[in-house]
Amino acid sequence: MLASAGVAGTIGRALLLVGFVGAVFGAFAAITGVRNNEPRVIRLVSRFAVLAFAAAVGAFAVMEYAMITRDFSLAYVQKVGSWSTPPLYNFAAVWSALEGSILMWVLILSGYTLAVCFWMRKRMNESLAAWAMAVMMIVLAFFFLVSFFPANPFAAGAPGVLDGPGPNPLLQNHILVMFHPPILYLGYVGVTVPFAFAIAALVTGRVGEGWLLATRRWSLFAWGFLTFGIALGSWWSYEVLGWSGVWAWDPVENASLLPWITGTAYIHSVLVQERRGMLRVWNISLLVATFSLTILGTFLTRSGVLNSVHAFSESGIGAWFLSFFAVVLIVSVFLIGWRGDKLRSPGIIDSPLSREAAFLANNVLFAVFAFIVLLGTVFPLIIEALQNRQIAVGAPFFDRLTVPIGIALLTLMSIAPVLPWRKASAETLQTRLFWPAWCGIAALVASLALGAYGLAPLLTFTLGGVSSGAALRQVVLATRRQGLRGLVGRANGGMIVHLGVIMIAVALGASNSYSKSQELSLVTGTPAFFAGHSFELIDVIEVRDDRSISVKARVIVDRKKTYEPAITKYTRIGMNVGTPSVKASLTSDIYLTLEPPVRQDSGTARIKVFIKPMITWLWIGTGLMALGTVLAAFPGRRRRPTEATSALVPTSEQNAL
Amino acid sequence: MKQNKSVWLGMFLLVGLLLAIGVSRSGSVQTQQDRIDSITSHLACPTCSGESVFVSRAAAAQAIRTEVARQVGAGTRTDDEIVSYIEQRFGGQVLLVPRATGLDSLVWSLPVAALIMSLWFLVRAFSRSRQNKPTAPSAQDEKLVEQALAESMTKLKRS
Repeated sequence: MLASAGVAGTIGRALLLVGFVGAVFGAFAAITGVRNNEPRVIRLVSRFAVLAFAAAVGAFAVMEYAMITRDFSLAYVQKVGSWSTPPLYNFAAVWSALEGSILMWVLILSGYTLAVCFWMRKRMNESLAAWAMAVMMIVLAFFFLVSFFPANPFAAGAPGVLDGPGPNPLLQNHILVMFHPPILYLGYVGVTVPFAFAIAALVTGRVGEGWLLATRRWSLFAWGFLTFGIALGSWWSYEVLGWSGVWAWDPVENASLLPWITGTAYIHSVLVQERRGMLRVWNISLLVATFSLTILGTFLTRSGVLNSVHAFSESGIGAWFLSFFAVVLIVSVFLIGWRGDKLRSPGIIDSPLSREAAFLANNVLFAVFAFIVLLGTVFPLIIEALQNRQIAVGAPFFDRLTVPIGIALLTLMSIAPVLPWRKASAETLQTRLFWPAWCGIAALVASLALGAYGLAPLLTFTLGGVSSGAALRQVVLATRRQGLRGLVGRANGGMIVHLGVIMIAVALGASNSYSKSQELSLVTGTPAFFAGHSFELIDVIEVRDDRSISVKARVIVDRKKTYEPAITKYTRIGMNVGTPSVKASLTSDIYLTLEPPVRQDSGTARIKVFIKPMITWLWIGTGLMALGTVLAAFPGRRRRPTEATSALVPTSEQNAL
Repeated sequence: MKQNKSVWLGMFLLVGLLLAIGVSRSGSVQTQQDRIDSITSHLACPTCSGESVFVSRAAAAQAIRTEVARQVGAGTRTDDEIVSYIEQRFGGQVLLVPRATGLDSLVWSLPVAALIMSLWFLVRAFSRSRQNKPTAPSAQDEKLVEQALAESMTKLKRS
């Protein structure tokens, strides 16, 4: 047993080293090959990409093997492995702490590198593709290095350990732990691809629109997974954490939201550049910001400078990420400055009432949004550095400042989709907004009839009506013209994404403003009432397995459905974890938690009841966003070059792509 | 056109009226639980920075929740008094919302400054676009267009 254990650590470390060497050589081959124009050297790039990927897959497989066989010679398995963890959660335990999550980052990034390499295999001797590969390889080499030095999952552990505590109890009681991290990482790591092409465009001077068009689907892919991953995280928070909320503005959540904000700004403003050739510096800056925010976010949350629910233990990883962040920023700013003259845009905005102007306004709002989230996240650090005292910046701050931004974005979503490029007249706007405006009024009347009150939620519902009217108008017009093909393509798929976003905004507005909660002391046989529902305690039972003791209160709500909120004590870790019981419906969810202290067979239990309106629409909206993203990735109807609307966009030079 | 304008005016008036009704209408009465939830969501959990007492399931947060519930139940103190009582009793970094005084106020003023700056940037970008009215094409421009047209015509004929 012990002999094979040592082997796993050695093989794992060796594979990380092989991967690092592969990535470094790959970057070297790409750069020298394209500079000296040697196709033979360039052909090596894809071999190195295969090598790095194989090494990453191997290292990950060794880690899984060590986890599954409970190889306690590894410090990492000692930290998160346990004989008592069920197989599925044990599989997911590999990414339940810092070292393993960096290993997963390596695996996914090497997968992206290989995929880009395969996709570009015929064009690898073009300088843009070669430089993009080089950038990806350099980033990959950095992560192999991090995984080898400060966050090595294959480090040897203390001898003589035969069992461990297992992963954090919160990470072993819901199936989402299998999906949320990998899907989020697919998005988080995926922004490296458009970033690599942006840097390559700057290095080679091919800053026209070619690289943008080429990486469009990669950006969309990464953005889609980031969106989906964040939504899954919210779902997990709602189903597992027991405070009935979906978003706590926790630093790690913010770290995933920040690149999402700048990424969302990018996928909008990139349209302006494709169409009009404007905003070149801005788009490259957004990509640089998106990528560097993933690095900064990792620094903030993984180095121990900020603590949060997700934060793993402190480690020496901080200096690595901070230095890498600085390098990324300095190199990018230098390159943008160096290519400044080539990046000057040929067009100008003709009118504030035009689609490009709306995109610009959208970007300004998203930039302020990102600034608020970043400021709130790092502000405690600033105060601690300057005045050596601790403060906290939490949800009330973010809520107060981001609600107006959200309402402003909804306003923009109401108007922008009906705006034509270049210039709109007031009449066009009036005709096109006529029905959307009535949708808004209908939404307002309906929500008033249902008893809604308060300015922010009512504005949200009204604007939600107008903006869904505007989005539906586009979809209806497109499908009327082209049948089902009118649902695909960027503009139409984008409108479906908008509909999903609107659902989420309305659901957040309703659930944040109209949730009700009450603590109830229940005694068996005597029903209690709250908000028109009855709650009757049947009994309090205890369920044991070899990792935990769980006390469940069985409560019948409205004489129909049985809820089983529980408190589970994980005996190895000595941690109590509450598990809420939720039953969802389209109008509102009933959410029960069991409040400590609780004793089995006592015939009494204190429960907290939350009535959360419209939560289900968050998940439906997320599904619609995912569907819209997929539809947007398909090519829409091609514009024929003879059409007047398809005037060629002047590029600064003939792009090789 | 005139009729159209009056329809829009009517719509705006209607929306304003309906919003006014909705804003002035009082929501459901604030219960003790609502007070407890609102107070605890403004307090930082002492053992888990970044989370509020309302959110956190940690033992320390549980203790503060119980204390706030007791105070609210007693009904003698206002929300602010309860917060300062908790601050005295549990000490340290209790507030989850930065104050608007001293250096802490920057966290409130900087976003506003950023918003004003970006609005100014937008206004400037748009006003520049207005100054840049397209001028009449010069003779040289027209010549270029003619040349291009002739070229494409010959291409078309050939194909």
